[in-house]
Parts: sequence; C-alpha cells; structure tokens
Amino acid sequence: MSTGAPLRQKLVGQAPLLTLVALCILTAMLTDRFLSPLNLTNILVQSSIMAVIAVGMTFVIIGGGFDLSVGSTVALAGCVATMAMVKAGLVAGVVAGIAAGAAVGLANGLIIAMLGVNPFITTLGTMVLVRGLVFLITGGAPVGDEGLPAVFVAFGSGRLFGIHYLVWLPAVLLVVLSWVMHATPYGRRVYATGGGREAAYLSGVPVRRVVASTYIWCGALAGLAGVMLAARLQSGQPTAGEFYELTAIAAVVLGGASLQGGEGTLYKSIIGVFIMIVLGNSLNLLNVDSYWQRVAVGAVIIAAAAADRLRSRA
Amino acid sequence: MTAAAEAIGIVKRFGATTALDGVSFDVLPGEIHALVGENGAGKSTLIRILGGVHRPDDGEIRVSGESCRFMSPHDAIAAGIVIIPQELRLVPALSVAENIALGDLPVRRALGFVPTVDRARMREEARAILAQLDFAPDSDQRVDRLSFAERQLVAIGKALRRRCCVFILDEPTAALEDREIARLFAALARMKAQGTAIVYVSHRLDEVVMLADRCTVLRDGRVAAASRRGAFSAADLVQAMTGRAAEDRSITAASLGDAALEDAEPRADAISLRVGEVIGLVGLLGSGADGVLRRFFGIADRAAILRAGGKTQRVDNPKGAVAAGIGMVPGERRLGLVMNLSVRDNILLPSLDRLTRGGRIDRAAGDRLVAELMEAIDIRPRAPGLRVSALSGGNQQKVIIAKWLAREVGVLLLNEPTQGVDVAAKAQIHALIRDFAARGGAALVHSSDLAELALICDAVLAVRAGRITARLERAEGLDEKTLHAAIGR
Repeated sequence: MSTGAPLRQKLVGQAPLLTLVALCILTAMLTDRFLSPLNLTNILVQSSIMAVIAVGMTFVIIGGGFDLSVGSTVALAGCVATMAMVKAGLVAGVVAGIAAGAAVGLANGLIIAMLGVNPFITTLGTMVLVRGLVFLITGGAPVGDEGLPAVFVAFGSGRLFGIHYLVWLPAVLLVVLSWVMHATPYGRRVYATGGGREAAYLSGVPVRRVVASTYIWCGALAGLAGVMLAARLQSGQPTAGEFYELTAIAAVVLGGASLQGGEGTLYKSIIGVFIMIVLGNSLNLLNVDSYWQRVAVGAVIIAAAAADRLRSRA
Repeated sequence: MTAAAEAIGIVKRFGATTALDGVSFDVLPGEIHALVGENGAGKSTLIRILGGVHRPDDGEIRVSGESCRFMSPHDAIAAGIVIIPQELRLVPALSVAENIALGDLPVRRALGFVPTVDRARMREEARAILAQLDFAPDSDQRVDRLSFAERQLVAIGKALRRRCCVFILDEPTAALEDREIARLFAALARMKAQGTAIVYVSHRLDEVVMLADRCTVLRDGRVAAASRRGAFSAADLVQAMTGRAAEDRSITAASLGDAALEDAEPRADAISLRVGEVIGLVGLLGSGADGVLRRFFGIADRAAILRAGGKTQRVDNPKGAVAAGIGMVPGERRLGLVMNLSVRDNILLPSLDRLTRGGRIDRAAGDRLVAELMEAIDIRPRAPGLRVSALSGGNQQKVIIAKWLAREVGVLLLNEPTQGVDVAAKAQIHALIRDFAARGGAALVHSSDLAELALICDAVLAVRAGRITARLERAEGLDEKTLHAAIGR
C-alpha cells in the first residue's frame, strides 16, 4: 500500500543475509584469524553437512511439521554406511546410509501423517529410539575405521576447483531442490499444505501423502549428511550428530521459515546455517568458554523462534 | 443524553491508504445503531478503533463523555466496550460453561480455604445466560463440538456475562439460521431495554431496517448518510453505500441438459443435477442440507457412490471429487483459501497437474490463465502476486470460485457463497453462478439466505432430518415465503 513498504519488506526479507554479513564484519574486526583461508574453508566444510540437514528440515517445516530425529539419523546413516561399505563396497555403503535415513523419515511420516500423532512427540520418540539402535548395531564403538574404500576417504577431504567435494554437494542440492520447490506441482503442494492444510485438502491436494513425503526427504537428506560426516571422520561414530537437530531447526527458523508452516526458502535456510556456524566459529576464535557458547546458542534459538512469532503477528 | 461511546473526527491511514477520513459516530445507551457500507468502506477499521485494536491518527474516542486513549483491546474491554468478531475467540477444547466464565471463574473455598472452581455455579450461570438467547446446550459440551451458529451464541453469552455497556456485533447473523437470528434479536431487544448501547455491523440490510434505531452508512472512509429509524429503506441504504441505485438482476432460465451429477445409490436425500441447472438446498441447522455438499465432495463420514459426467464412481476424498469434475466452495473462507499464499497460487492449486509439462509447472500458461480469470470475474486488485489474505471478503470468495473455473470443473458445490460479502460483490457472485450454469456447468447451492436462493435457483430442495421433503420449481414461483413454508418454520 504505502510507497515505503516494498523497500522495508525487501529489507525484512533479507534480514538473515544482513545478520550474517553483520556477524562476519563484527568477527573480522575482533580477530584477524576469522578471514584466514584456513578458517573460511573450515566454516564452509562445517556448514556443508549442516546445510544438507537444514534443507531436509526446511521441507518438513514448510509442510507444517517438525523433526527432532535428524541428529540420531545422521549417526545411524554414518554407521550403516561405513559398515556396509567395508563389507560390500562404496556404492552399497552410500545407498545403505541414505536408505537408512529415508527409512527413519518414512516411519516418522507414516506415524505423523497417517496416524495423526503430534510431530514433536513422534520425532522425540524416534530420536531416542534411533540413537538406541545405533548403539545396538555398533556396540557403542566407532565402526568402519579400517577398510573404508580409498575413494570414500578421498571424498571426505578432497577438493574440486579448490573447493571441498563436501561443499559442492549441498550447493548442487540447493539448486536442484529449490527448483523442485518452486517449479514443480509437488513443491507448490508442500507450501499449500503447510499454509492451510484444510484448504489444500479441499482443493484436492493429497495432504497426508505430501506431509509424509516431507519427512522422507528430511530423513534421506539426514542420511546423506551422515554419509558425508562419516567420510570426513573416516569412520562411523555412534555418538555423531548430537544436537544437530537443534542447530538445523534454529538455522531454518533464522532463515525466515515459519514454524506455523507454509513459509520458508531453502536458500535462506542455508544462510541460517551459516549464521549458526559462523556464530560458533567466532565464539571459538574469541576464546569464549564452551559452557558460555552453549548459553549463547540456546539464546539464539529462542530469539529466532521469538522473531518468528513477532513476524507472524505483524 | 450522553453517548455511551463516541468517535469524533476519526482519521486512520494505513500507509498511503486513508481508511477513515474524519468519521464521527456515536451510540447512546439503550440504542441499536447500525453501521453499514461495502467492503473496504471503513466499517471494520472504525469498530477496531472503538475496540482498541487500532489507534486513530487523528480524532477522539469518548466513553460516557470521557476522553479515552485505548492502547490495546484490553483497555477497551476495561472501559466496557466488547466486540463480537466474525471469527470467534473461544477455546475449542474447553466446555461451554468454562468458555463463558473464562477470565472470571466463579471460585469457592473447598475445605474452607482451598480456592476451587465452583463448577456447579459456573454451569448454572452459563445456563441462565444462554437461556436469555433461547439456547440450551449441554454446558459441559466442548465448544468445538458445536456448530458455528451455536459457537457464536456462546461468544455472545460470554460478552453478556461481562455486563459491557457498549456491545459491537460484527456481522453477527452472517452464519445464523432464521431461528437463531430471531433468538439473537430477542436477546438484543432485552439488552437494549436494560440500557446497553449496541453497534450493529451487517450486510443484511433488511435486518438493519428492522432492527436499528439509527443507521450510519460509510463509503470510502467517510459518512455517506446517517438517518433515524423509519427514515431509511433497504434501497436507500444500497444507494448510499454504492452511490448508485440498486439493480434487480433478473434471471433467465437456462436450457437444461443431461445429468451432470447424481447419486447412484438409493437414499432419502438422493439428488440429480442436470447440466445448466442451479439447484438450491435449504434446511434448518442440523437438517443435513449442507451434508449433501459434503457427500458429493467426498468429505462425509461415508463414501458416496455417484454418477458424474456419465461415469459411476465411488468418491471418498476431495481428490477423487476433483478428478470427477466437482469443485467445492466451502462455507468458511479459510477452508477455501491458503491464506499465506498468493492469489495466483490459490487459483492454480487444483490445476497444478494439468499445467505440468515435463515435470515442471508451465508458469507462462498459469499466469495467462490467472490473468484471464481475474479480468473475467473482476477480482480486485488485479495483483496475482498479492497474498490472498489481503483481499476483501467478496474478492476472496471470487478467488475460490476462480480456482474451480481454472480447473474447468463441471459441477460447483457452494456452501453459503455470499456470507459476509457486500451487496455489489454478492450480485457479481450470483451472476457468476448463473453464468457458470449457462455455459454448461451445474451448481448446487446451500444457503440460509432464502432471498438468495429464490433469486438464483432453478429449483430448491427442502431438507429435513436428512430427507428431501419438497422440491420447489422456479416455474411454480419461488420466493422467500414459499421457501419458509417448505422448511417448516
């Protein structure tokens, strides 16, 4: 309506990016180590695995849901992938890891969409359950630390055009999946289902299938992230991925997705991931006590959720 | 007499839009003052200012002669001004009695000192208050088990209990059956006799003429007319609202063809709808009249066996119904629209699979289709990228119809298609429904607005207790009176 509104809306729309830039400038002023090539590479690689998880989480949150089980799924996929890889080779390992993640997602999706159980409770349950399974199959010790294919180990640390393979992967995923969300009927149905489930249902959208599919995406992408992490650690770690769900959810909300569903973009969720990783990195560089780091990260998560509420009220 | 509430020279701007431009309005104790105007005329803004939701940019609010500055709805309620909005604010999971008492629960002391909710007194109070509305539900019933009309009575009861001195009703009868309307009017008369000031916002001009002691007409953010009881008729009001004389759109009977939609199993409320036909459904609350629409759209408790477009099929969900060429315009707009999506995305939602070429949506074809439809049925503003929640009620309703026109359905099921819509948009929607039928579609309309059914339908079916009790043909004369008689009141 007002002539000033579009500019203000644009600024609000780019708030995640502006926050990230401000955070980077601030940290760069406080310490020169921030802009060192080693540190920047480190941030990119750390962000890459979280970005893959956050992309899946964005699907679920746009669809009006929530997934706490991704951290455990990362560990499950990493362990399953390395164990399968040692026995049956690279391809079988990667496929098994992603499939394990997708299976967790399918279970979440069926329980939430078909039985109508609350997503928070369901994924809280699978979070604990899957972590238990990981310890059962691994006996609680790291697996696959010997006998991994050389290609897999090289993938975890190798580079293409000076950039880690681990970073290329989410970049490609971002492009392809953004296209899926914006240009395909499936993507528009996810937005419609999250934004107004009853209205979408009464327009002929198979809302239960759409909701279930978002959890499968989320599980499969968490599985892929688990495989990536295993490549980086050169083993399957049963304790991997703890608290990843919180970082991923915080990143998606920081990126402007609404916990009410129906809003969010993959690209901005990845900006949210960078905010979370850069924040952790800068607190490290500034030698902030690790206990205080937890306090800071927790506060950021609450602030992001509060900002979400304020936005939806305005 | 000092006005119970008074707005003086109110100006309110939203960005570059001036919603109210120097509006003055007052309501006296023991008076019903109606506020009418087309959508966007400024009625909602004015009552929101009185109710403390918005703050005026200029002008003054007085309550019982004293100047007030409301910072929140809470302040307005404390000053005794209560709004009953169209979207009711009740807690779905609490009982009728608890909702009415909420915020001021009756307390007794168990064992002499433990404060405990006095459930017996709470139930008794709820019963007594709702009895004034001639409404006697089980007061332990959860509110979400009630129909919309019943929930509204609970909301009104809740405000009655607060003993407010100014009572603002926003479209209170939009979703009510005649019987509830009569109940409500009786209750309003009682409140008026007790000295309550009542502001009554409605699109139903016949009600305004019948009920109001005074009427103020808003147009484009200004007072277009203000007059006393007996000095205005419904036609005067329409003229003041729109700035032109009301037209009477007469309906031409379309030529009828083959069955477009019919039940393929024997049942007490079996229906056959022919191509080119607009059939009305009418019945009291709970008669099952709207259940017919739900059945055909696959959202009733049991699957429907029906014949549509010459094929017999089982329909047990909306997806199946849409595939069979059936579209639904639900009674509540939030069920028809995904509010945080754009006009364009809403219009295309049922048609996404048809617009897909090689896995992706053909954006250009979609944009063309949306532009054509917005032009053809006059959706304003012509901004396909605008969030649908920013549109007026009438335009939102047109978007819901547009999404089924985009899908090229053969049958439209419409539930209260013009509820809460202004007179101009109402006429446009009526014309759209007739036009849809004339171009080879068929429509089934459930409405509690008998004048509307008499105006647009070829025939009206009266439903009572899940059975069709009468079929009234246009050829035999359709008017409100015969419809009244048919539904048994």
